[in-house]
Amino acid sequence: MEVKINNQDGNATAQLIGRLDTPASQEISGDFETLAQYAAGTIILDCTQLEYISSSGLRLFLSLRKAAAAKGGKVIVKSINKDIRSVFMMTGFLNLFEIQD
Amino acid sequence: MKKARQLDPHCEAILREYQDNLPRFREVEQEVKEKLRQTLADAGLLVAAIESRVKGYDSLAGKLELKGHKYSSLADLTDILGLRVITFYIDDVDKVASAVERLFDIDWENSVDKRKIHEIDSFGYLSLHYICKVPDFPYRFEIQMRTLLQHAWANMDHDTGYKSGVEIPKRYMRNMSRLAGMLELVDDEFSKIRIELTDYRRRVQALVRSGNLDEVPIDGDTFRSYLELEPFSQLNKRIAAMNQAEIQEVSLMPYLAIFKAIGLKTLGDISNLIRDYSEGAYQIACYQIGLTDLDIISSSIGPQDLCIAYILKIGGGKAGIKYMFDQLNGESESNETIAEMLLEQSKDLPFMNK
Repeated sequence: MEVKINNQDGNATAQLIGRLDTPASQEISGDFETLAQYAAGTIILDCTQLEYISSSGLRLFLSLRKAAAAKGGKVIVKSINKDIRSVFMMTGFLNLFEIQD
Repeated sequence: MKKARQLDPHCEAILREYQDNLPRFREVEQEVKEKLRQTLADAGLLVAAIESRVKGYDSLAGKLELKGHKYSSLADLTDILGLRVITFYIDDVDKVASAVERLFDIDWENSVDKRKIHEIDSFGYLSLHYICKVPDFPYRFEIQMRTLLQHAWANMDHDTGYKSGVEIPKRYMRNMSRLAGMLELVDDEFSKIRIELTDYRRRVQALVRSGNLDEVPIDGDTFRSYLELEPFSQLNKRIAAMNQAEIQEVSLMPYLAIFKAIGLKTLGDISNLIRDYSEGAYQIACYQIGLTDLDIISSSIGPQDLCIAYILKIGGGKAGIKYMFDQLNGESESNETIAEMLLEQSKDLPFMNK
């Protein structure tokens, strides 16, 4: 699992590449802490190359959403595949994020 | 630029005292303003603005030039530091006043309630002025309290009349008085609306608590009160128990629009939806997450699956489900894919075949 973070003017975009399962969630938790520093701005999670998400991955997304809500920023989840969208829907996460195709 | 003025030695002395104490006035200005802001915020009292200023050198010199003989020292001037609290509602002026009374010592002899000085048939400047003191600062200061509309009127009157230096035609004064009367009425009306709304909310909350949900129409206020009863909690817990999942509490307010869109009119209708469709919603959730290891769900899963069950059962089909997700998440082609998937899955579920 790989995370590529680009930041500009207090906003950040993270490309999530690979499978976000439980071990991968632990592996990239530091990257999400880095992303949380941009919680006052807009954080885009680009999921074009994200293949899978587990509960641990959802928790990471959620922690970022909470940080953004506390600081008046927002998290945009971009280009999730059909399976991940389905996971978001099944868990009631779909309307927690601004989701862009 | 300081204007050259002919001031006597007595007034010059007052001006020097002013300049010597100016930094302290500015400190007290910030301290008093912050105290006021914090106290009003703690009391949940939303005000339009808290303004403050320390009188400028020229303004004070001008005042002394005109009536310097009235003041024996700077301490006799009560408006060197002035603050103004502008409220939205007329009843809030008194609430701000009581906060000011608690925070500072009030010089009652010199404080004026200009709201009470008018005869029954005259209209004009309405504002409450308190002359205040804080410990360890020898100078008094003024806090003015008034509504936004009173403030608008006072500014208009001040700008167009008082400073122009020409005699004001009677017609203008009469028009300003007419406006003052009208704004007084408007202030009262705003206040009445707020009282009526508060009363409406209380009645609705009482109806919700007493369980008379059929009598309560669905709107933002009533739905919010209803959510305090955690109506979806039982269903959410049942769904969560499947995978020993944790439930993340989220706002369910977005479902207000969905419930209205599917034709529910009263809180009783939502209650009936929960009663009649919880089994269907549970079957949908079971089918979807029962065989996964997903152990986190949001509290919106209950209302979401209830709406899906209802839409599918009444034949709303793919279009109905897509419409729901479009409303919740913004329009997207992907919502159609989800709707298709749900339609397909539901064919095998017992509640659809009853």
